[in-house]
Amino acid sequence: MRYLPTAPSEDRALLDAIGVDRAEDLLQGIPSHLRLARELDLPGQLSEQEVLRQMAGLAAMNTAFSSRFLGAGAYDHFVPAAVDQMISRQEWFTAYTPYQPEISQGTLQHLFEYQTLTCDLTGLEVGNASLYDGGTSCVEAALMAVRLQKKRKTILISAGLHPHYQEVLCTNITPHEGLKLVVVKLKDGVTDLEDLALKLDGDVAAVLVGYPNFLGCVEDLKAIADAAHAAGALVVSVTQEALAFAWLEAPGKLGADLACGEAMSFGNNLNFGGPYLGFLTVKDSQKREIPGRVVGQTRDLDGQVGYVLTLTAREQHIRRDKATSNICSNQGLVTLRANIYLQLAGPEGLKGLASQNAAKAQYLQARLLELPDFSAPFSAPFFNEFVTRYQGDVQLLQEECAKAGILAGLDLTPYAAELDHCILWCATELNTREQIEQLVEVLARVPSQVQ
Amino acid sequence: MTTRTREPLIFERSVPGKTGMDLPRLDVPPARDTRPAHLKRSGFDALPSVTEVDVIRHFTRLSKWNYGVDDGLYPLGSCTMKHNPRINEKVAALAGFADTHPLTPAAHVQGNLALLYTLQEWLKEITGLPAVTLQPSAGAAGELTGVMLIRCYHMSKGARRRVILLPDSAHGTNPATAAMAGYDVIVVASQADGTVSFEDVTDASGKVQKGLDTLLSELKEDVAGLMITNPNTLGIFEYRIKDICEALHKVGGLVYMDGANMNALVGVARPGDFGVDVMHLNLHKTFSTPHGGGGPGSGPVACTAALEPFLPRPVVVRETAQEGEGQVARHRYRLDWDRPLSMGKVHTFFGNYGIVVRAMTYCFSHGGDGLKAATLRAIVNANYIRKELAGVYHMEYQTPTLHEVILDDSGLAQYDVHTLDVAKGLIDRGFHPPTIYFPAIVHGALMIEPTESEGKAEMDEFIAAMKDIALEAASNPEALHQAPVLVGMRRLDETTAARKPVLRWTRPQ
Repeated sequence: MRYLPTAPSEDRALLDAIGVDRAEDLLQGIPSHLRLARELDLPGQLSEQEVLRQMAGLAAMNTAFSSRFLGAGAYDHFVPAAVDQMISRQEWFTAYTPYQPEISQGTLQHLFEYQTLTCDLTGLEVGNASLYDGGTSCVEAALMAVRLQKKRKTILISAGLHPHYQEVLCTNITPHEGLKLVVVKLKDGVTDLEDLALKLDGDVAAVLVGYPNFLGCVEDLKAIADAAHAAGALVVSVTQEALAFAWLEAPGKLGADLACGEAMSFGNNLNFGGPYLGFLTVKDSQKREIPGRVVGQTRDLDGQVGYVLTLTAREQHIRRDKATSNICSNQGLVTLRANIYLQLAGPEGLKGLASQNAAKAQYLQARLLELPDFSAPFSAPFFNEFVTRYQGDVQLLQEECAKAGILAGLDLTPYAAELDHCILWCATELNTREQIEQLVEVLARVPSQVQ
Repeated sequence: MTTRTREPLIFERSVPGKTGMDLPRLDVPPARDTRPAHLKRSGFDALPSVTEVDVIRHFTRLSKWNYGVDDGLYPLGSCTMKHNPRINEKVAALAGFADTHPLTPAAHVQGNLALLYTLQEWLKEITGLPAVTLQPSAGAAGELTGVMLIRCYHMSKGARRRVILLPDSAHGTNPATAAMAGYDVIVVASQADGTVSFEDVTDASGKVQKGLDTLLSELKEDVAGLMITNPNTLGIFEYRIKDICEALHKVGGLVYMDGANMNALVGVARPGDFGVDVMHLNLHKTFSTPHGGGGPGSGPVACTAALEPFLPRPVVVRETAQEGEGQVARHRYRLDWDRPLSMGKVHTFFGNYGIVVRAMTYCFSHGGDGLKAATLRAIVNANYIRKELAGVYHMEYQTPTLHEVILDDSGLAQYDVHTLDVAKGLIDRGFHPPTIYFPAIVHGALMIEPTESEGKAEMDEFIAAMKDIALEAASNPEALHQAPVLVGMRRLDETTAARKPVLRWTRPQ
């Protein structure tokens, strides 16, 4: 076995030094009746080329699409070669959590820079070293808001929040018996301010709102924040497409108290949904309630600037059941991808990319609406995603696109009754005009069903 | 190779006008500005303007300040720092996997679904439990999923049950998880050999800690379950695990096994056979997916048939069709969302799929026989280090250990040398230190786990370094108090870092 340092003479030398005859003799701590009396019923070991063939075979069972118009929380952006090259250095990808700061300054300084950038993007003051993904970031943000608000126990979530985020929230909030999740309705694709006002009572700890929301619509975060603050509630801005921060004003500047969401868009492949990058930023006054790892700047014995994991009194290894969260890792290597990506892009690159995304999505929408069976159900501004209503059979449309090598938008029918026959489309800098024209061509051929 | 003493923050290198990313020519009309004025992005304060050259040099220099598994022995106990096979990275990067969108209709991601299904089957055989979910993102997320399964189970029977029991040797995530799942935490005493005690235990100060029997008889139907790590955080197998499970089951409670140390059991013993109801596995430990400087991990959960209905959704289902006489059976995979008793979701999509791909590759490489060989070798390595350092360092528990060994600093206290000094002394000798001050039940613990990756020569160098430190503690303790001095960064002031936190760069005024 190529990864195991076995060799008869060396194995003997180790066993002799320990004073046992066979390795199995070291299992004496496991009572014999609890040991597995047979071999595992699994295939035998394989050479590298056999493994590669087997895995490549699985990969080939997936359809290879030549263009994709699907987002909905997982975005297809170009990944610069520098990202993959850099994270392949063993110093980055094989290292552990930076618990020994003297030999982890690379990871620590990177995380300090990453925290700086998430604060910059969101317009808030303190960021953690990341959370698992967009959905779980909502859970951590909601629980933090409840801790900050002490006696308030209701969490309002806009119906425009990604439905999977809503489900992750519901799963994780349910065990907290005192807490209540209440959904605020949508009107014309955005949070209904009247319904919000109605539900903002004195028990509301926080309002979670998608910015932009799941339907691609840009919410007026300022109006929502003003209403929430007037009722004493905190506002959590949830962004599932972090590139939107280069198109839309930073949530912190519009009154959001916490900003969380998904930042996989920065330097990551789609990876069938993970690993992705949950982020969370808060106000400075709230920093001691933030969950997850946080890196801080300090000095060493010689007065040299260095970095350490800090504010650890919040964390599970110190506070145990009183910790701000049970989280014990971060998305280490994914934060590195994001940091490298953001540094390469810089302010102009990021704004340029965002502008290209908006341009592509607007062009795609315009071309789709020229087709007889497509209409726009919402009028709110959007970034790189939008909804169309389609007269025909959505699944048939998806299949016809697939035959042409195109991954079509998301069928929204299963998500809500009022979204029947709706499709959520996404376009990014990767979608060329040619791809868009090809899509339109295919759609024009799909037989529409008369309702 | 020389390492610079300081790499500035990238923000200090920024020169407006520079960029590291050229955009493609825009082939559609420019975006119309549809944003209301107040929602239009203003500017950025920190995002730097640098070239690709600047970025590559910056991160290359920073990387040299890190210690990785390929630098040498990395004996972090419980963290399982084994070799990261390169083929796993290559496979995870295959476009067929990396470019798949999580919301693609199932018919077009049959390879991904087959892979998820197959790894689940492997983990079922390895754990001896009949159901697995790959959705949790990390060990702690797996714990939370597992404890929420326990909660769903009791609630479905109309029972609230308020308490989760756990031993004092438990990892901090266990109590934090139980609290996040809405439970009160009560600690069970450990007996002199380091395992869970059925009887009450009186400690040196005369304080009585309740054993499992007392707690179960007092709390009865209030006990939702017990969380137990096996082998425990001392590397000791809980030899009465079956009795523990039976005791819990008798009051209707369930047993959660923290699988952080499952790499000591793969191919040798199966938690399902002990009576464990639910457990998690760390793919980044037992199955060698890279630690990545702190993540991403992956924490699959395995459970009994009684808990299966409550697993997170969707669940991967395989349907087999025999297409005509003599034809090979064809499998079709789909995602089953229609799970009325499911707890819901614990990840936005299906978990850290890229990590799952690496773990599957690791499994195929090793096969059942290689996985067992790895387990045995990890145990041999830990016992070799234990044998060689016994007598040099104090060992609190003489009980046989499996994949790791816990030493401590009590023999060095006479020289005013402590565990932290030993750790920093190892850094100057070219090694990553072991896990220190954990588990908390051993004063000044040094928790050493070499893993199966280490050959004798590598271990002998580590052993020599540990012996050298013990000698230096007696001859020149001050040198250890000053360590490290050879890695470009000395000990850091963590107190000031926490008291006056500087958590991001701000532009100098």
